[in-house]
Amino acid sequence: MSGKEFFVKRYEKLGWQFQETEPKQAIRINTTNTKEEALVERLESHEIELEKIPFLNHGYWISKSKFSAGATSEYLLGLYSIQEAAAQIPATLFTEAKNKTLLDACAAPGGKTVQLADLMSNTGAIIALDIEKRRLIALSNHLERCNIKNTIVYNMDVRSVSQLKITFNKILLDVPCSGNFTTDKDWFRRRTIKDVERNARLQREILTEATKVLKDDGEMVYSTCSLEPEENEMNIDWAINSLDLQVEKIDCYGENALSTIFGKKLDSSVENCRRIWPGKTQGFFVCKLKKRGDAR
Amino acid sequence: MKLIKDFVNQLDADISLDDRMIVEKGNRYFLLDENLRKIAKKEFFYAGIYLGKAKKGKFFPSFILLKMIAQHKANKIIVDSKTEWLFICGRDVFKKGITNVTGSKQKGAYTLILNKHDECLGFGKILDNFDESREKVAVENISDIGDFLRREKQLD
Repeated sequence: MSGKEFFVKRYEKLGWQFQETEPKQAIRINTTNTKEEALVERLESHEIELEKIPFLNHGYWISKSKFSAGATSEYLLGLYSIQEAAAQIPATLFTEAKNKTLLDACAAPGGKTVQLADLMSNTGAIIALDIEKRRLIALSNHLERCNIKNTIVYNMDVRSVSQLKITFNKILLDVPCSGNFTTDKDWFRRRTIKDVERNARLQREILTEATKVLKDDGEMVYSTCSLEPEENEMNIDWAINSLDLQVEKIDCYGENALSTIFGKKLDSSVENCRRIWPGKTQGFFVCKLKKRGDAR
Repeated sequence: MKLIKDFVNQLDADISLDDRMIVEKGNRYFLLDENLRKIAKKEFFYAGIYLGKAKKGKFFPSFILLKMIAQHKANKIIVDSKTEWLFICGRDVFKKGITNVTGSKQKGAYTLILNKHDECLGFGKILDNFDESREKVAVENISDIGDFLRREKQLD
């Protein structure tokens, strides 16, 4: 159970007609470090043409550029980050995060960690974890470049996060996933349904542990760049039935998630999640969960 | 901590760092505020403000520390756009690219290198021919933000 034909048929059953897409490169302006208008002007003076992303506050697509967006002074000064458009959505779904304690559970290479710190104006605390030490170096470089001051990084598997004995107001679970074909040319050749199922199991373990360290009424944002429902709608359906979590309504780019998957009916609140099929952005799934304090 | 203070002094910088807030982790130094100190466990990989690292008795400042110093009185040189780019590419600063100097012009003094927007690009060491020909190197590049690109290449 693998190959392009197999997966494309699955997408058709989920209501999406496969199309090759190549999303444009996107940047996000770090507003703690610079004024947005001034930076846009500076980049345009370097002949980098920008197009405002309509569904993001500080995101721009690069329409045309003579230079690599990762090799300008402004980038090296941390005035902006290169971050795919859909990947900019999860951090924006938290309600006021300033002075709060956040967990970024699978943080490397740090695009969303920096975005969270920016939204928090470097206040409060972010605990950023990643299991791979090598990726922590990239994360640390990213934090240094962007002048981040409120983050503590651990080389840790999120499934052990209880060891830190911290409870969090907000948790970002941008979990390891199967990815999608828009960011990996060999995706259809490399992936099998067994990989998807293995990732879905890992994601459930992560959801379980993260729920333990989320404060009552705390917010958790769950996201993947997978198109596979096992890692998305079906995991969220499992989470609201197995953990003290409920799905919150969100207002962001994307379609309502599916509440019937291959004939199986899920909890109707799963529709409040967002599924983004590849097009203007890469494929993505995102939702906001809240811990039900009264269910304990 | 002495290494950090000595470095700051070499820039004639008017900045004080509270020793009690500095945490040494291996050969790296971090500045943590009260809130982070309360929750940080000793096994952290990175925390708060990364100040830099020590190697063979020498201190290598982080770019966050340089930015912090640049917000205060210190030796500073502002360079033009062309020199900015060359400096980021690891090149030394020629006198003709300098548009403004604050603080020391003494041979051997350390100075921050800033662009026209007052953003810190790194630092260097003033050479003895600072007041001589426009065609000569005035500041030797010691560290510049192009290092982030060089680090990325090492990780690939």
